[in-house]
Amino acid sequence: MTRFWLVKIVRTLLTLWFVLTFAFIVLRTSGDPVVALLGADARPDEVAQFRSQWGLDRPLYEQYARYIAQMATGQFGISYRDGRQVIDIIAERVPWTLLLGLVAYLIAALVGIPAGILAALKRGSTLDRLIMTFAVFGFALPNFFLGILMILLFSLTLQWLPSSGTGTIWHFLMPAITLGTFTAGTLARFTRSAMLEVLDRLYMRAAAAKGVPHWKRILLHALPNAAIPIVTIIGLNLGQLIAGAIVVETVFAWPGVGRLLVTAVSSRDLAVVQALVLVIAATMVVANLLVDLLYGLLDPRIRVAR
Amino acid sequence: MFTRRDIGKLVIGAGAVSLATPFKLASAQDRPTLTIAVDNLWQNMATINGISTTSRRIFPNFYDGLVDRDYINDENGLILAPKLATSWEQNGNVWSFELRQGVLFHDGTEMTAEDAAFTLSADRLWGPKPFEPRGKTFTDGFKRVEATGKYTFEIETERPDPYIPGKLTGYMGLVVPKKYYLEKGVDGFGQAPVGTGPYKVTTFRSGEVMVLDAFDDYWDGAPPAKQVIWKIVPEFSGRMAGLVSGEFDFIVNIPTDQEATLEGYDKVKLIRATASNYPAFAFNTRPDPEDNPLVDANLRYAMVQAIDMDTIVQALFGEATFHPAVPFNFPEYGRFYDPALKPLLPYDPVKAKELVQKSGYDGRPLRWHITRQFYPNYEAAAEIMIEQWREVGINVQAIVLDNFELVYRRPFHLMNMSMSTDFIPGDPYQPLWLDWGPTASRSTASWKTWDPTEKFIELGNIFERQTEFEARKKAYQDLSAEWQRVTPGYYMWKSVYNWAHRDDIEWKPRADGEMRMFGDYLKLS
Repeated sequence: MTRFWLVKIVRTLLTLWFVLTFAFIVLRTSGDPVVALLGADARPDEVAQFRSQWGLDRPLYEQYARYIAQMATGQFGISYRDGRQVIDIIAERVPWTLLLGLVAYLIAALVGIPAGILAALKRGSTLDRLIMTFAVFGFALPNFFLGILMILLFSLTLQWLPSSGTGTIWHFLMPAITLGTFTAGTLARFTRSAMLEVLDRLYMRAAAAKGVPHWKRILLHALPNAAIPIVTIIGLNLGQLIAGAIVVETVFAWPGVGRLLVTAVSSRDLAVVQALVLVIAATMVVANLLVDLLYGLLDPRIRVAR
Repeated sequence: MFTRRDIGKLVIGAGAVSLATPFKLASAQDRPTLTIAVDNLWQNMATINGISTTSRRIFPNFYDGLVDRDYINDENGLILAPKLATSWEQNGNVWSFELRQGVLFHDGTEMTAEDAAFTLSADRLWGPKPFEPRGKTFTDGFKRVEATGKYTFEIETERPDPYIPGKLTGYMGLVVPKKYYLEKGVDGFGQAPVGTGPYKVTTFRSGEVMVLDAFDDYWDGAPPAKQVIWKIVPEFSGRMAGLVSGEFDFIVNIPTDQEATLEGYDKVKLIRATASNYPAFAFNTRPDPEDNPLVDANLRYAMVQAIDMDTIVQALFGEATFHPAVPFNFPEYGRFYDPALKPLLPYDPVKAKELVQKSGYDGRPLRWHITRQFYPNYEAAAEIMIEQWREVGINVQAIVLDNFELVYRRPFHLMNMSMSTDFIPGDPYQPLWLDWGPTASRSTASWKTWDPTEKFIELGNIFERQTEFEARKKAYQDLSAEWQRVTPGYYMWKSVYNWAHRDDIEWKPRADGEMRMFGDYLKLS
């Protein structure tokens, strides 16, 4: 068991190092931050002063060594854009993205899982086909398209909901629905197929033969057994949620990490981009670890095998 | 294929009823809050390091300049008006300024000549290692800036410069509080700026919002709004929906093809104004790449004569703007402007074909680097121009790139650019000499597109020294003629800014893009 966790931790650290190095190389080789930050008309002496101030005039290996040392001590550096501590900038934004992500996940789970169960139970019916059609729409519809469509419908035409920003609970609705729709669609489809597989199992027939009520059979026997693929999808979809947040936060002017990433990349604010890449990578790694842990909790056979 | 905008139009077509509620301006205590949805906010609001189109629109609401341009009484803003400086006079190389008394900064300290002199000082703008190095661009010839009394200061230049008051209408004339600035440093100041303007900055999160509260101790009286919120809404649909539904009072940057849609809504007013800026393209006139056919001026002339820009501008903008047929002969230059002047290289495809032949151009593709969606309608115009060039035998490929950093990467033959014209109000100094002269980035940067000719430099030095109008006009015409002889670029049209606001607001735009939420520029009913 200890070895299992040691391997996991080493693998996690290697993944994070690889991500950090990759981000460093890509950002340094794909463009010069000076033009993006100082503008097209910056004077040569202004450019030189900027490079010297931020150490961009140093050899690449020196910049890399300093960067890794900084990261190892938990220092994310200072933003080129506004001179603030990167950690403060990110800390300001994370709660907004977390909140939006949680609401979106909640919507996705509350809609997607019951819809998938219902479709499985009514397999082959019109209801099944209807649910699956909506599920396909859900994950096929690009976020930006759905978001704009909702703004035009609910803000511009019907004037029911605020078009952008934060402030009230109503501000959550459109971004959360837009962000959650993809996951809801995916969950519905996976829940359906997982449930269908479980519903045909012998223990389900045995439970029915023993006279266990229908709802009990579904909730206590079928659903826990179908949970592993659903949990996997929820874990994997975290990446999709972060990618979706980049688009959704831009469309709805939501002050989260996704929008920060867009502005930081477009202005080549290297310190912020690097820190965000690390945060996102760490989130993904932790999510995968949690999924692994959940496997063990959900299925004792996996626990024993370890 | 449907685009986002097409889909938007379809849904909008369903119709909408505006819920915009006109607010009442009952008393100073009952002043309204204005919310302005903008596409972006610059990351730094220091007066020089923060130079950008997006900050310029906000600056005058919390900074005051020493001298102002009066766009109320002159559409070109050629009248200079007192602002923080109440009077000024020139004595040879020295300009003396007298400051308004009793003006307070937002931190409660009084503005004095120490602050004004520091604002324009070598330490801050033009010394060997200034706080805001871009200041050097605006302070050419500065020798001494000194407070001579509590409310008087002097600027001494290397040679007589009659344009100092005009230059002080721009960014460098925005006065900052010396003590606070030095305490905070440039970056800190740029995040929490303090000026003497009618509103004070209370919140600034560069990727999100800027909140300005009324500064009731403003020397020119309390401003009309209690608060002005500048909120970033990157997506146009969001800005439009917010304006129509009454969430926002103003929006900026309306795509040209969405103007008609927006105008279709009740209680919304669309405003356009031509800006002091001209989108253009530069020819790479240098042998870099080595086999660059544009080194031959005949090919450049041919390319200019092949473009029917009047028709292109009419098709893309209607009557909203125009193509300046003669470079640098711009209407905003008042007495310098001559509407009767004829272009040296008019539209003439037959002549263009002859020039192509004369140049020996072999048909190899010419790379035109264009920044994606940076100038409205630029890509659309480029498509038409490429076809017009193809008709005379010139093969141009538009390479649309995401940012200027990529645009500047060689090799390229043409490059998009734009040039502002208002550094000295009513004078062609900026576009002709400041932006094309030997110290301009266009002549010095790694991506430079031309080497100014000896004659251009000689004529430019003469132009720079002329202070009498007739002599300066003659020098300007000579310099312009030399530029046209070389033809290192092509000016396409005068930029158009657009805004929309609730129709119960009366607001006057300015050609410099400033959005003044006070004074004679804004009337709230």
